[in-house]
Amino acid sequence: MRQLLLIPIVAFAKLLTLGLRLSGRGSGTALPGYLVGKYFPFVLASLIRQIPTVIVITGTNGKTTTQTMLSAMLSPRVGDRILRNRAGANLRQGILSELLKQSDAWGRLRFTHAILEVEEATLPRLASLLQPRIIAVTNLYRDQLDAYGEIDRTEQLIRDGIAQCPQAQVVVNGDDPRTARLTQGLPNPTYFVSLAETYARLLPYEGQRRSPEPGQQGLVATQITVNADLTTDFAVAGAIQSQSIHLPQVRTVSPGFFHVYNALIALTIAVLLGIDGQMALQGLQTFEPAFGRGEVLRRQVGSKGVNYRLLLVKNPASFSLSLELLRSIPALKLVLAINDNTADGRDVSWLWDSQLERLNQAQLDWVICTGVRARDMAVRLKYALDFPPAQPVPTLESIQATIDLSFDRALDGDTVFVMPTYTAMLEFRKLLGKTLDRV
Amino acid sequence: MTYHLTLTHLYPDHLNLYGDSGNLIVLKRRCQWMGIDCTVRSLTMGEVIQPGETDLYFMGGGQDTDQVAVVDDFHALKAAAIATDTEAGVVFLGVCGGYQLMGHTFLMGNGQETPGLGIINVHTRAPGSALQQRCIGNLVATLEPAIYAEMVRLYSTPKTIPPTLVGFENHSGQTLLGPGVQPLAKPIAGFGNNASGDYEGARYRNVFGSYMHGSLLPKNPHFADYLLGLALRRKYNDPTLRLPGLNDLEELAAHHYAVDRYGGQGSHQISHRS
Repeated sequence: MRQLLLIPIVAFAKLLTLGLRLSGRGSGTALPGYLVGKYFPFVLASLIRQIPTVIVITGTNGKTTTQTMLSAMLSPRVGDRILRNRAGANLRQGILSELLKQSDAWGRLRFTHAILEVEEATLPRLASLLQPRIIAVTNLYRDQLDAYGEIDRTEQLIRDGIAQCPQAQVVVNGDDPRTARLTQGLPNPTYFVSLAETYARLLPYEGQRRSPEPGQQGLVATQITVNADLTTDFAVAGAIQSQSIHLPQVRTVSPGFFHVYNALIALTIAVLLGIDGQMALQGLQTFEPAFGRGEVLRRQVGSKGVNYRLLLVKNPASFSLSLELLRSIPALKLVLAINDNTADGRDVSWLWDSQLERLNQAQLDWVICTGVRARDMAVRLKYALDFPPAQPVPTLESIQATIDLSFDRALDGDTVFVMPTYTAMLEFRKLLGKTLDRV
Repeated sequence: MTYHLTLTHLYPDHLNLYGDSGNLIVLKRRCQWMGIDCTVRSLTMGEVIQPGETDLYFMGGGQDTDQVAVVDDFHALKAAAIATDTEAGVVFLGVCGGYQLMGHTFLMGNGQETPGLGIINVHTRAPGSALQQRCIGNLVATLEPAIYAEMVRLYSTPKTIPPTLVGFENHSGQTLLGPGVQPLAKPIAGFGNNASGDYEGARYRNVFGSYMHGSLLPKNPHFADYLLGLALRRKYNDPTLRLPGLNDLEELAAHHYAVDRYGGQGSHQISHRS
């Protein structure tokens, strides 16, 4: 009976999505799921249980990149059909919208795997419905306080979500004390990913780092090198379910230590799903940075071309680590783009927890502040720099004006690094000719 | 003569919820730019302080477990010395959870009222009605005229300063001022101390509390200077001491933008949670 009911509901959702897109009122990532979820709460379970293997990725930073990496590793395997939600559409309605969109007219989903990024606080409300085979937690940092509340509470919510799925295998960041302890006292088989001590110490985790226990399952990255083009090379070793893993040369095209963790988590999940390590690695080589996470956009006017590399900043941890990375860039050209919409966090206090002081060790050619809160960013920068920049820092609310000015200042072939908050990143992409569609 | 100030950051590893350490970044830099020698020390769990060691205390807010943990430590190891200092006019600034914690009672996330540090006569209570109210959003407030008048006279050369404070509030606790305590400012947009929206912040001698994050001092450089001025005047026993006026182009641009963008009526919001 319920399967039959799905048909008109799915038809309604598909029409609504189409209508929203044609009218230009949105991409249809939330509203259909919101309405269907509200009036027909059984639909989510009816749809998701058709997909044999569900993988859930949560955590403060790295959900989208880990999801993209894992898709790249699974895609080459013959017979695998993968469904994933869109970057950032990680609340209940966004996931349901994607399931509705991907189902056929009879409400059927012909996928072998669903790889879903799930917002941290949403996990306990979805976990028992989704019945994931694997739950991965990338890290737990302070995020937008006005949106999420206290981090102790977020940790408890994720733990509650895991506790609803005693069968699920759990993959966690073993260097982050908050994620490493998530399954303590729970029956879930747990796999830990970590960086060799020398690197893990550089990362801003809260609390005492836990030492690996003997016989612990998981992967460790060693010999990490960040190259001049910001790609990262490292070696991976470890054991997963009696399988010994040795990958002496792994490269991610996404910049930074964060993405080493993301790659380790994706590799661990791939191995748990029966993919051979070498094959997973081949998949990883085809991976392209997700949506604003190290992505490069190009602006070409006549014979002059300038690259814009987008490094999304969401919270103090991602801001500080990206700044650390930029210390190695010669003649750094930098755009800091801060909005205060709901998706960015309406309270900009987090700029003061972000270590802008790291720019004192960078070779700064020029910097521009932009976005709704460009002026707040300019104040933060003024207090961070030991010496005022040679030329005044342009502070332009308009992102279009910032693109124009930065293009004028750059030379042909230059790369401008852009550190935008979420909605500033969307605006940048749109103005540089990218639409929401390309995930 | 070179002036020197010692700033003490209370429980920096426990009370560090959201950007409030920006206040110390600002105090320290402004001292540097004014040629004032400045030391920032941290005072955390298990550490003891003597009266007279500090010219300005700062305390931010923390998570519930951390706020409860510091209360016992404070009463055992620090309360007497800090009370001696604040009664003698040493400057103290508490922000948000730190402001609540300074009072006689503060509010935990679960709605439980808990005894605080008691260095200023304010009480923070759970929202009164059946609805649980949270005051969240941008906050713009006009400084109490007497405080503003003191700020204007602080500089050695005339300087134009705004009569307002701007920031972002996010609290469910409702703070009420007791006898002997003056308000800091009057909200134009947002709530401040409680959902009545009557007052923002508190002052008793040189002890100040405010609900403003943002951080508070970066976009309110006149308030930062005022705190430094009060600390210097007390330490050097010179009530006529003046400060040089720094070039606050960026700070005031951010301040005025916040006043213009968020200072209109109707920009505040109470969120109702069941």
